[in-house]
Amino acid sequence: MTDRFLAVGKSLHRKDAWDKTTGKALYTADIPIENLRVGMIVRSPHHYARILEIDKNQSQEIPGVLAVLSSDDIPGAKVFGSLIPDQPSLAIDVVRHIGEPVVLIIAETKQAAQEAADQIKISYQPLGAVFDPIQAAREDAPRLHPDGNVITALNINDGDIEKGFKEADHILEDTYSLPRIHPGYMELETSLAIWGENQTITVWVSSQHPFTDQDFIAAALDLPVENVRVKLGVIGGAFGGKEDSSLSILAALGAWAIKGAVRLVNTRRESFVAHPKRHPAQIHYKLGARSDGTFTALKAEVHMDTGAYASYGPAVAMILTETLAGSYRIPNVQVESYVVYTNSPLSGAMRGFGSPQSHFAVESMVDSMAEELGMDPVQIRRANILKVGEKMFTGVTLNETANALPICLDQAQEIMDRFRAVEVSPGKKAGVGMALAAQSMGLGANVPDDSSHRLEWAPDGRVLIHLGSPDLGQGLAMAVEQITAEALDLPYSQVESLPLDTLDRPNGNVTCASRMTYMAGNALIDASEKLIQDLLTHAGEILEVPAKKLIYKDGQIIKEDGSKLPVVEFLGRLAEKSITLTSESTFSFPYPEETTPQDLPIGMPHVLYCFGAQVARVEVDPDLGTVEVTHFAAIHDVGKVISQSGVEGQIEGGVATGLGYALYETMLRKDDQWVDSFTEYLLPTSKDLPTHYENIILEIPEASGPYGAKGIGEIPLVPTAPAVANAVHDAAGVRVTELPISPERVLGL
Amino acid sequence: MKEITVSFLLNGKRTSVTSLPNRTLLDVLREDLGLTGAKDACGGEGECGACTVIMNGNSVNSCLVFIGQIEGTQITTIEGLMDKGEFHRLQKAFVEAGAVQCGFCTPGVILTAKALLDNDPHPTDQEIREGLSGNLCRCTGYNKMIDAIHLAEQGGLHD
Repeated sequence: MTDRFLAVGKSLHRKDAWDKTTGKALYTADIPIENLRVGMIVRSPHHYARILEIDKNQSQEIPGVLAVLSSDDIPGAKVFGSLIPDQPSLAIDVVRHIGEPVVLIIAETKQAAQEAADQIKISYQPLGAVFDPIQAAREDAPRLHPDGNVITALNINDGDIEKGFKEADHILEDTYSLPRIHPGYMELETSLAIWGENQTITVWVSSQHPFTDQDFIAAALDLPVENVRVKLGVIGGAFGGKEDSSLSILAALGAWAIKGAVRLVNTRRESFVAHPKRHPAQIHYKLGARSDGTFTALKAEVHMDTGAYASYGPAVAMILTETLAGSYRIPNVQVESYVVYTNSPLSGAMRGFGSPQSHFAVESMVDSMAEELGMDPVQIRRANILKVGEKMFTGVTLNETANALPICLDQAQEIMDRFRAVEVSPGKKAGVGMALAAQSMGLGANVPDDSSHRLEWAPDGRVLIHLGSPDLGQGLAMAVEQITAEALDLPYSQVESLPLDTLDRPNGNVTCASRMTYMAGNALIDASEKLIQDLLTHAGEILEVPAKKLIYKDGQIIKEDGSKLPVVEFLGRLAEKSITLTSESTFSFPYPEETTPQDLPIGMPHVLYCFGAQVARVEVDPDLGTVEVTHFAAIHDVGKVISQSGVEGQIEGGVATGLGYALYETMLRKDDQWVDSFTEYLLPTSKDLPTHYENIILEIPEASGPYGAKGIGEIPLVPTAPAVANAVHDAAGVRVTELPISPERVLGL
Repeated sequence: MKEITVSFLLNGKRTSVTSLPNRTLLDVLREDLGLTGAKDACGGEGECGACTVIMNGNSVNSCLVFIGQIEGTQITTIEGLMDKGEFHRLQKAFVEAGAVQCGFCTPGVILTAKALLDNDPHPTDQEIREGLSGNLCRCTGYNKMIDAIHLAEQGGLHD
């Protein structure tokens, strides 16, 4: 590691930002293609129904209609799924939620496609639907899938739960309800597919995991994987929602059927009803504590509504479950979690991946316990936070990064004192609240979690990063460019990452789980070291001196006599001999066998954690029940800042999404239809966010991280909602246990 | 339905379009004129601001403007903001301030900000928040956009 930083930690300009400010950046919907055909999906109008007949005759006759496709027309695998292959690309015999794709129409124009969609006759026999995960888990509930509705049942015990509650002087319990949340990326699900020669297809995706898209497309079209080439347009946000196939299978099916080019773009309404959401959950939470504030026991029962198909539900359940004790030492724990199929739109991955749900419960309950015991919210947390070397209830031992926890509390205390001193607006009640958060990094033990990336030193001296994972818009490209520039001792301007193309890229694995800077950064530091060694070997051959007598520094090769030769000269000489310097490295997420508990289901536990705290000041209107967050502070340990503006952007955007979770967002079922537009589903606007905002960024190095860095992608939205709920309680004395914190709930209506 | 022909000034150039009258300005920009800087993020319902263009000096959602309404108007899209190869001060300021993440809302936000600054060269934070409230962004939390607009108001660091 260098002792001075050339690129890491700096606030630099994102290289993709210029094209994004001029309209030149091409997202998948923008890529111009000759003879492009239009795809349109006919979706289920029913929550649950048997399909009696699909009559395509009339719609096929409409001029300009090229194909009308149903499940029978899929040549290969008719279902897909990242964890459980339970989701039909087009409905098979039954539909299990409103919005499920039934028929795919390909036409020359939008108008023709729309007419075909209007003309198609699908007869359904509606079936009794179920929406509540607790009801759906019962034996007599309508059964959605052959093996029953409960797809995951976790039961984790640590210590002696009965003894733990006996030791408690105070026991509190409550039920917390979390709503269904739309990831809310601005770029809707889009895919563009072009059928090529010799049974090949090229598909552009807006996806967090293009290599999975490649596998799914190959399986659906019954093609060898190498016949499917997946490329990326610029991605307009993902937030977990694009871990699932975002129309890529259907676009590919359409292109295959017409042997041409097809683009599919969801409308926002389609995205609402047919693409994965954050899991709604009910968490029954019981906490025991001694009079001095020490926690003795936790019992929790969780029901998660994963909707009609599994998506990432079983994996989300793991992080939700593992974080039910938050950042606290609770010696006796019993937690049960159930992931249940219902006839709701499916739920899957979304930023935080279970952790926002668990933290609303634990951080609300900790404040309730503080009130019960007459303690200050910071004081009770101080008495219970995990220390370095202590174990979470999953058996995971925390490393030095847990040193962040007491610092987060110190900072929160100082900020709370300041926020409490702010003058209250006339007619309002003010309150201040805080919450802590722990967010894991990585995919979990015993899940393959390798990430490969490649460097190329071009003859002109630029270093190209063949990044094996997508930048979703959060700025991964900038972060890895900064890391690579640092590792190669080159200016940031000389390092450039290229967009992913499965044709010739190493597999960097899915961009998710707060781990991409960590994974790709580590791989690229290693690749940089190999690249330098390779350069020195070739330079030694050219100069006819042993490579070990040469030193690389600042883009130059230094000979023993101190003379310096620019690297670009060697690159030119090598290019003449058709030699390109490249190096590829794979980083595997570390789960050391000796310290990773092995008695848990596959995918558990997560072993590396990020910590943070947030403080909110609210003003509540006691007559209207409205809540305004006037002041906000986010305190986060990032290990080491790689990109200053990138880290700030992740935190500020995460907080905004967290405030939406706290106050506005919920995808309700009203009059038997799902809320499916931004008219009723309220994303926070610039007017809704606190005017006083502070970032406090801590750097407590993670030994295994690139230059000490950890992840920051998810945790900024994790403590937000409970911090607001705690502030509302402080202001108005009302404990809201169901999100969002609507005026009706504040007023207790 | 009969096609209509409309003429307007698009990014300073006289432009004529022949189209069915039930199509929107957003459709025509993206599909007929190849100007894909204006985006659709809400399904053409005027909820997100991603399709914002400037029409006769005001920012409008191009998904809510039917093509018949643009006869004789002056329209600026994001593609028309650079001047003789120079980035506009708002473009520089958005890059400088780190206000661009996924970028999908960025063209609309920059055009809204331009209309705002053209009408009021020195807006307060509150006026900027009010002005941007029709443009949804899920990435940034808006703070850096507000910083960028203030930066542009002062000329931008690059000037």
